Amino acid sequence: MTIDRISGIVLLVLAGYIAFETRVLPFGTHKVPGPGYLPFLLASILGILGILLIVVKEKSSALRSLKWPEGLHAAAIVGCCFFATFFIEVLGYRVTMIIVLGFLFGVVERMKIWWALGLTLGLTLGSYWVFNDLLMVILPRGGFGI
Amino acid sequence: MAETVQNLLLGFSTAFLPGNLFYAFMGCLIGTMVGVLPGVGPLAGISLLLPSTFGLDPTAGLILLAGVFYGAMYGGSTTSILMRIPGEAASVMTCIDGYALALKGRAGAALAIAAIGSYVAGTFSVVGLMFLAPPLARFALRFGPPEYFSLLALGLLVLGYMTGGSMIKNLAMIALGLLLGMIGIDHMSGYFRFSYGIVALGDGIGVVPVAVGLFGIAEILATAGNPVRPEVLKPKFKDLLPSRQELRDSVMPIGRGTVLGFLIGIIPGSAHIISTFISYAVERRVSKHPEKFGQGAIEGVAGPESANNAASCGALVPMLALGVPTGPVPAVLLAALMVHGISPGPLFIKEQPVIFWGLIASMYVGNLVLLLLNLPLVGIFVNFLRIPYRILYPMILMFCIIGVYAVNTSFVDVGIMSIMGLLGYLLRKFDFETAPVVLGVVLAPIIEMSLRQSLAMSNGSYAIFYQRPISAAFLTGAVIMILLALKPLIRKGMDSKWREALTKAEKD
Amino acid sequence: MNRRISMIIPLLALVILVAVPSLLPAQTYPSRPIQIIVPFPPGGVADLTARPVAAGLEKNLKQPVAVVNKPGAAGAVGMQSAAVSKPDGYTLLSALVSISVIPEVDELFGRPKTYKREDFAPIALLSADPMIVVVKKDSPFKSMADIAAEAKRRPGELLYSSSGIYGATHVPTEMWAHAAGIKMRHIPTPGGGPALTALLGGHVDILFSVPIIAYGQIKSGDLRPLAVTSEKRLPAYPNIPTLKELGYDVEYYIWCGLFAPQATPKETIKILREAVQKVVATPEFKTTMEKMNTPIDYRDADDFKKFWDADAERLIKTIRYIGKVQ
Repeated sequence: MTIDRISGIVLLVLAGYIAFETRVLPFGTHKVPGPGYLPFLLASILGILGILLIVVKEKSSALRSLKWPEGLHAAAIVGCCFFATFFIEVLGYRVTMIIVLGFLFGVVERMKIWWALGLTLGLTLGSYWVFNDLLMVILPRGGFGI
Repeated sequence: MAETVQNLLLGFSTAFLPGNLFYAFMGCLIGTMVGVLPGVGPLAGISLLLPSTFGLDPTAGLILLAGVFYGAMYGGSTTSILMRIPGEAASVMTCIDGYALALKGRAGAALAIAAIGSYVAGTFSVVGLMFLAPPLARFALRFGPPEYFSLLALGLLVLGYMTGGSMIKNLAMIALGLLLGMIGIDHMSGYFRFSYGIVALGDGIGVVPVAVGLFGIAEILATAGNPVRPEVLKPKFKDLLPSRQELRDSVMPIGRGTVLGFLIGIIPGSAHIISTFISYAVERRVSKHPEKFGQGAIEGVAGPESANNAASCGALVPMLALGVPTGPVPAVLLAALMVHGISPGPLFIKEQPVIFWGLIASMYVGNLVLLLLNLPLVGIFVNFLRIPYRILYPMILMFCIIGVYAVNTSFVDVGIMSIMGLLGYLLRKFDFETAPVVLGVVLAPIIEMSLRQSLAMSNGSYAIFYQRPISAAFLTGAVIMILLALKPLIRKGMDSKWREALTKAEKD
Repeated sequence: MNRRISMIIPLLALVILVAVPSLLPAQTYPSRPIQIIVPFPPGGVADLTARPVAAGLEKNLKQPVAVVNKPGAAGAVGMQSAAVSKPDGYTLLSALVSISVIPEVDELFGRPKTYKREDFAPIALLSADPMIVVVKKDSPFKSMADIAAEAKRRPGELLYSSSGIYGATHVPTEMWAHAAGIKMRHIPTPGGGPALTALLGGHVDILFSVPIIAYGQIKSGDLRPLAVTSEKRLPAYPNIPTLKELGYDVEYYIWCGLFAPQATPKETIKILREAVQKVVATPEFKTTMEKMNTPIDYRDADDFKKFWDADAERLIKTIRYIGKVQ
């Protein structure tokens, strides 16, 4: 099982899903393409490319050879991103950033506690001041008004 | 000619007024700061300052906004080169070779070449703007939906040469990008596509969250926990400047990028990012060492950066010459003028020479200011790379979140950035290129709309594409490109036939 | 028995604690910064009208009033966020005529409504610009009658551009086509600017345009105006007839108004209404709007509501007539 094969399979499944989702959109005709026309066409092309990837014998490394040394770190960062997404408007920018940066500096990077706190607070409050107050890029205040 | 020189002198006298000089400088400074922020590009910068211009006189206000416009573009290349995060959506191509150069310790050279290329492109484009604005603008108007479609089809073909790697994989990524770009309201029929009830997706997923996610976030995901961190060579002072060889190598790419970018920028509605992609593909095609691209080819920075700057200037041509907003940035500039009661139209240049020529002159000044501002800053910026990565990447994350959120004041964009970041990380692991996805997202709405508009115009007949001269020209170009690509195959076929005939002749 | 009494006391305390704040005299409105949501990118009509109003309100109410742009989905994103915001008077909405159109289009497509017109309480109408019908200077059409005649000869052949399907330039064009009994082909573009570019390049035949965008071209003679969609003639174009004068029962304005969520307390709305009334009368506001070539058409809440309802009825009829395009 090479990485190309598995990518091909994923692409094929994705193409199938997209094609399925276009069923609610009117297809139109070749002369007057509807909203579903091009997406369906592209999904078909994607599916064909997926099949080609599975079948064509190009040199590609085995799935087993994939290493994920940064995996846990990456998962933590992705988690932070999603946390920020859902909570940035609920808790407000500053609170969310303090939690995110504190987590990254303190827990993931295991910095000494005073350094972590200092950097977290400094970066959060500093960035808020520069962008919200100086540059007038409105950063959200949460439900508590912070 | 004499009249133009006279007008130019008038312009310079306006531009050098202490007040206007101050605003030009402030604009450049703020623009650079805003541009360095990932994803936040010229549009956001100008929108931020728009209200402040209401109280200024129109010339000063326009000069300020133009300064921000330029500064943001210069600043955008900084983060692209230093951190592989596109400072603005159009800087995506600079990330690829720029960051590779930074890893080799040539960050200073890359930044310098980017600044020089932008300066040259900006200056030449302003000259073009000066002399050719009205006739060029009228020519640009003849671009209708069929021309757009043919041009973009040609562009996609050119991009087949864009990056290395497997052709199948690149095509798959373009297809994926095009599909992602179709999320949202279909402008021709009003249907919501693939938006699952989330109204914020109505305008599509947006190129900024996609670019920042696929490049910036994916970069930190791939590098943060990696025990084998590529050691960034600490640059010595002489490493900060480009070597003579690098300068020589950059001359032609800058020239080609300027012309290409300016021409593409004039076309109303085209996105600047297209000019950078095409410039990169062209450089790769004409280069004697195409394998260098992706590993740190200075041409891959010089060309796209010049194209970007030239395209932004070119976009101002229809706006100033005809008063037609050709994109979101010119629209905001127009609004800034309208608030002061000035309605740009074809008579704008004649009726408001002070503003027009003052603006042109201040663009020269602004370009120079930015060059002088950025070159010394190169030394400071490069030291940014020396911050230990474990402290750097949370900062980068913070900047990305601010940048992406600020574009639309929407947390949905942050979510899209997160998903794209994860996707970009997985794509890198599985050996796919991510740049084509960004291109697809940008092109999808334009290509689809042009196709359907053209068919609506011709009532379903596909003949419209080759009946109109400009469109036919592009299509012919596309056919030639396909033939050129097939040439090696035909050659091989003819070669073997030739050998067969030879062998047969020898036998006889 | 003892336990019950000892339970009642803390419960009473709790009730008193909760009730007291609402018994206290309410903090006078406004006591915090107010924000006006503009559901479009900066530089558009709603944005440019909201900013002078915000500046004026700030002086009157002595609290910062900020304009927040929340663009997306032709305005639906910002309007929806205003509809669900807390109705305490600190979140207002500056919206265009499309506020009446979007829920109707949702219903047409059978999807849940993004918001309803009833979610908003009108505070004041600020401006009401009509559309102006333009053709290129070398076009054979010299009047609306010419276009109608040509369209009857070649039904479905004439092309018109618009700023988007069901948008502010599409609806009046169809209103007129319906009144004139003709059919034309629609070429949607992503906005007012591209729609004008399409006309200037000769790719379409006519356009119902926002006056400000076409102003420069009309002045230079590149575009010929044929009619306006208002009830009365425009002061900037005294020679251009209205569609009503020409015999077509069409009235359309791209108007801009200030709204608050429906549940906002009546006293708060009254304070806002009075403040806006004062702002509109100031000379600064008048000069700003004049410079932008946008005629002020101020109507207070009750008049505005009548105008809004009548206008919405016309629009809904037209949307239903346009129907689904594909």
